[in-house]
Amino acid sequence: MAEERRGAWFGFGFCGFGQALGSGRGRQVHSPEPLRAPGAGLDVCRVSASWSYTALVTREHLLPTPAPGACPAPSLASSPPPAGGGGRVELSGFAVGAAGGCRDAWASEELLVVLRAGPGPGAGTELQAWTPGSALRGEPLWAQTVPEAEREDGPGGDETQAGPLPLLPCARAYVSPRPPFYRPLAPTLRARRLELGAEHALLLDAAGQVFSWGGGRHGQLGHGTLEAEPEPRLLQALQGLTMAEVAAGGWHSLCVSEAGDIYIWGWNESGQLALPTRSLAEDGKTTAEASGLNEDGSEVKTVAGGEDGAPAPFIAVQPFPALLDLPLGSDAVKASCGSRHTAVVTRTGELYTWGWGKYGQLGHKDTTSLDRPCRVKYFVDKQLQVRTVSCGPWNTYVYAVEKEKS
Amino acid sequence: MAGPGALWEALWALLPRTKEELKLELGEKVEGSVVMLLQEAAELLYGDRRQECLQTCEALLDYSWEKLNTGPWQHVDKGWRQVYSFGCLLKAVCLCAPPGDAASVAAALKACDMGLLMGAAILGDILLKVTAVLQKHLLSGKRPAPSPSQEPLGIKKARNDHVPIPDMTSERTVPRLHCPSLQYFRKHFLDPGRPVILEGVANHWPCMKKWSLEYIQAIAGCRTVPVEVGSRYTDEEWSQTLMTVDEFISKYIGNEPKDIGYLAQHQLFDQIPELKQDISIPDYCCLGAGEEEEITINAWFGPQGTVSPLHQDPQQNFLAQVMGRKYIRLYSPQESEALYPHDTHLLHNTSQVDVENPDVEKFPRFAEAPFLSCILSPGEILFIPVKYWHYVRALDLSFSVSFWWS
Repeated sequence: MAEERRGAWFGFGFCGFGQALGSGRGRQVHSPEPLRAPGAGLDVCRVSASWSYTALVTREHLLPTPAPGACPAPSLASSPPPAGGGGRVELSGFAVGAAGGCRDAWASEELLVVLRAGPGPGAGTELQAWTPGSALRGEPLWAQTVPEAEREDGPGGDETQAGPLPLLPCARAYVSPRPPFYRPLAPTLRARRLELGAEHALLLDAAGQVFSWGGGRHGQLGHGTLEAEPEPRLLQALQGLTMAEVAAGGWHSLCVSEAGDIYIWGWNESGQLALPTRSLAEDGKTTAEASGLNEDGSEVKTVAGGEDGAPAPFIAVQPFPALLDLPLGSDAVKASCGSRHTAVVTRTGELYTWGWGKYGQLGHKDTTSLDRPCRVKYFVDKQLQVRTVSCGPWNTYVYAVEKEKS
Repeated sequence: MAGPGALWEALWALLPRTKEELKLELGEKVEGSVVMLLQEAAELLYGDRRQECLQTCEALLDYSWEKLNTGPWQHVDKGWRQVYSFGCLLKAVCLCAPPGDAASVAAALKACDMGLLMGAAILGDILLKVTAVLQKHLLSGKRPAPSPSQEPLGIKKARNDHVPIPDMTSERTVPRLHCPSLQYFRKHFLDPGRPVILEGVANHWPCMKKWSLEYIQAIAGCRTVPVEVGSRYTDEEWSQTLMTVDEFISKYIGNEPKDIGYLAQHQLFDQIPELKQDISIPDYCCLGAGEEEEITINAWFGPQGTVSPLHQDPQQNFLAQVMGRKYIRLYSPQESEALYPHDTHLLHNTSQVDVENPDVEKFPRFAEAPFLSCILSPGEILFIPVKYWHYVRALDLSFSVSFWWS
């Protein structure tokens, strides 16, 4: 059954290269603003943001042009996307350009990766890697035909098949921004989602287990050490729990269980793990000393830590997954991480952000970094239900729908 | 008398006359987006748009900082460190624009120091030249404040009566030699890998007479340096932070410091070349295969009580004592098993044993391991052969200079 509520994308944070992010006024946006997608009336189904540019993946539907001044509000189509994979990718920022026939795109500073329908039915899907500056013109840096996903496209789109790039539809390999670009995955892994950090990779498999590999110097692998792992290694600490989502930041990792619990680990230098961090304490802003009730609904926090009332010790690195409670006991359903910040969507449609905030990427109308989850009031005030979040390194994109009017 | 206008002129005399002459050869690892941003920053500086230039510099510094923190430090591409240095340079110049109050100039000096600490040389070591100009300007208007505790070096005065001077009556001491010939040293100590204390070699270095807290503050007081906080680097509470030398002295060397702070393993003489004139490279270093430029010279400056846990280094070491005394214990690499090194990659060169308070049940073989020990005093140089395990505790306010060579 299709939803007919009007939804839209919003953005906030760094836009120093003029990437589409709301009004794009100045180089930073500190509070959510409706996305001005290049071209009106585009139905954006995915946002992949790199540091200097953003790629919007749209479904190829022509919608009536919204009235001037109105925020673009595409509706979720009731019919599934064309099986051949119509759809465009639109770039803005340091990289500009657009191309059709794209099912998916993944933006990084080194490479723009797109999945395009091969010519004609049954011709498979082509994976292309472009230099961002190429504007998708001429020849890609590298291209390869990839096997199709085993399951059919459903109305839910990305949710039912092997996840978005950098994981390939067949789940047998993923794309890396550094050579070798095409990296096979052991078939036994049955990957459902894959996310890349600055030095590590996270994988969620069909059974809800989490694997990690790559560099581990900031504890981002979650195996309890600072050692690197050359191959995917199962997170033992999460055994017995079924995970629904994984998200990788620059040097931190997060997963969300089917029950809605958040587990988080890695580097906490800006409070991105929602644990007390020394750098914010020195500015007088750490959670270890927070008290009182905040407007954003975060619970009263007396001095956290030991029974003797001593403040909690600062945590620079958390090498094992730690359970994180959101204020008011909210359940998490979606998560995404930027370089040094974290964003989580709750079951009731609220957005919480924390971590590095210098470029407004937390959306709290300022540039303060936070080491505790805070609700983004904008969506509450505008009576919007947040459905999904996608973070670029220093910015945040949010898809939200209007609340049902009773 | 230096006014703000004179500072501005002095700085611009160091910069290329036009922005076109600002050579931005950063190598292929630095992406086009970053180069573009750097060019924009240069344009803004030369175009007198300083606030915008500062904003752009922040983005450059934050982005390159992330690159500097990706992967092992030795593998960070020089181009990224140069981007960081450029960001520091342009930021420092902007901060010194007239009226150029003392706080802004101090901030500019800090920016330069960050570039010197983490960046790589650009424009013929321009950051060193800029810091010299800034320091001169900062000091010209005022006399350096005399330090409250002016302890000249060499005076073996304990700050309190509770200094645990080790009872060395049962310990085998490191042999001492007075100015051995190069051949004698090589035959009896370098080649067989045996420690020895060299007397009469460093005792006439200018630092032995010149260095005191007051002198250090005068030369380096306003310079930002890395400081280790915590009793030893194997402790959970240990951390590294940055502060000026003045702050370090007042917080960790003055009366009743709350924590142990140690200005340890820092290439201070690259950062402040003026201090390099007070020391010399021991002649015996020429017995090694490496070039003189490859010799790493580190400063070790801290209060009574700093401890370096038992560890080994991959190069030959001459440890020259300038201020205060150090108790040092040495174990041969042949005894490595009895020293129980950590099994992690990160700490495999560090022993798990607390040398002066060993856990005899956990580390039973340690008590039987033979060792040499000494109290190293001002004017003396200890030769620590490559991979020789060493433990160091400062018995007084101490300043040592180490030379790592191969």
